Amino acid sequence: MTETAPQPAISMAQPDDFFQLLKPRVMSLVIFTAVTGLVVAGGDLDWLSSAIAILCIAVGAGAAGALNMALEAETDALMRRTRGRPVAAGRVNKNDAMTFGVILSVFSVMLLGMTTNWLAGGLLLMTILYYAVFYTLLLKRRTPQNIVIGGAAGAFPPVIGWAAATGQAPWQAWLLFLIIFLWTPPHSWALALYSAGDYARAGIPMMPVARGAKSTRLQILIYSLVFVPVAAAPGLVGLGGYLYLAVSAIGGLGFLFLAFRLWRSRAGDQPDKAEAVGREAALYDVRVEAKPARNLFAFSILYLMALFAALLVESITALPGLS
Amino acid sequence: MTMRRLTPEELSARSRRNLAIAGAMVVFIVLVFSVTVLNLKRNIDARKEAIAAGQPVEYAR
Repeated sequence: MTETAPQPAISMAQPDDFFQLLKPRVMSLVIFTAVTGLVVAGGDLDWLSSAIAILCIAVGAGAAGALNMALEAETDALMRRTRGRPVAAGRVNKNDAMTFGVILSVFSVMLLGMTTNWLAGGLLLMTILYYAVFYTLLLKRRTPQNIVIGGAAGAFPPVIGWAAATGQAPWQAWLLFLIIFLWTPPHSWALALYSAGDYARAGIPMMPVARGAKSTRLQILIYSLVFVPVAAAPGLVGLGGYLYLAVSAIGGLGFLFLAFRLWRSRAGDQPDKAEAVGREAALYDVRVEAKPARNLFAFSILYLMALFAALLVESITALPGLS
Repeated sequence: MTMRRLTPEELSARSRRNLAIAGAMVVFIVLVFSVTVLNLKRNIDARKEAIAAGQPVEYAR
């Protein structure tokens, strides 16, 4: 077919490129924590509304990811870990990614509000704005505390799930928020310790770049010492039962052990492996001395999943607890 | 004014995107329809319960 106007190069983007804009790996964690919040909350939401609510939360989180990729295309292109992303790699036009993100944001918030309630819809809107505007545009390049403050965006999904189910966001929901909020710094800094070269090249003041590896390792240990008791709290206040207590205690000890080993290690003192070999290294392919950082990073994901899985299982099967 | 014929790859990519957009729109329409039916059902049930409880009910004016 022919075009009637001077034709710029037409986009070659495939649907899968747009799906990748949604950060599907991040989305899976969002879905899991939101489902947990929704189920633990109880309430009388029917299964179809629940499914739509979870879909909306997932799409809203994905929309925030698309906006983030549109806004950070230049930065992503400088980093080995992110330069394959659709916008950074030039497969998706920046404006297309932005439009995609805005449309999905509007539709997901609207549909969540219509299906459940406007507290949940409002919280989802706030999460999107927090991540795309507050974190991406304002925080990320300004302070080494970027991930501490910005981590709140990733902590909202269980609260949104709770609000969707009950129309309320009580302190129990905010306890789940606090768990993810405190989990984010040790998790993100462990990764940053063995990919600091990427952040330095992109001019992002992540903690290992701004304060050095030694200070980062100490801060990871301090955050872990605060995080682990908070992670056990749902088991002590009746939100979780014996299964949750066991998972949080055993996993928490493992988390502290790995954080302590990382503190004692020299992870991050040398340039990361990708820098050394001058090309992309696999996410878990690191220098020997950086292995404690990699181990904590990997275990942190497992631990968070296990905590929420325990809550979910107990809520579904009504296992006994302390109260 | 210059015109050019799109390459088969460009046409294929555009066609796939169009199909994806069409699919997403169908899903969205089905979801909005489902939500509307659900909300109607909730309101009808609430009205029935109110009538059964002897509460005064009336249509919105």
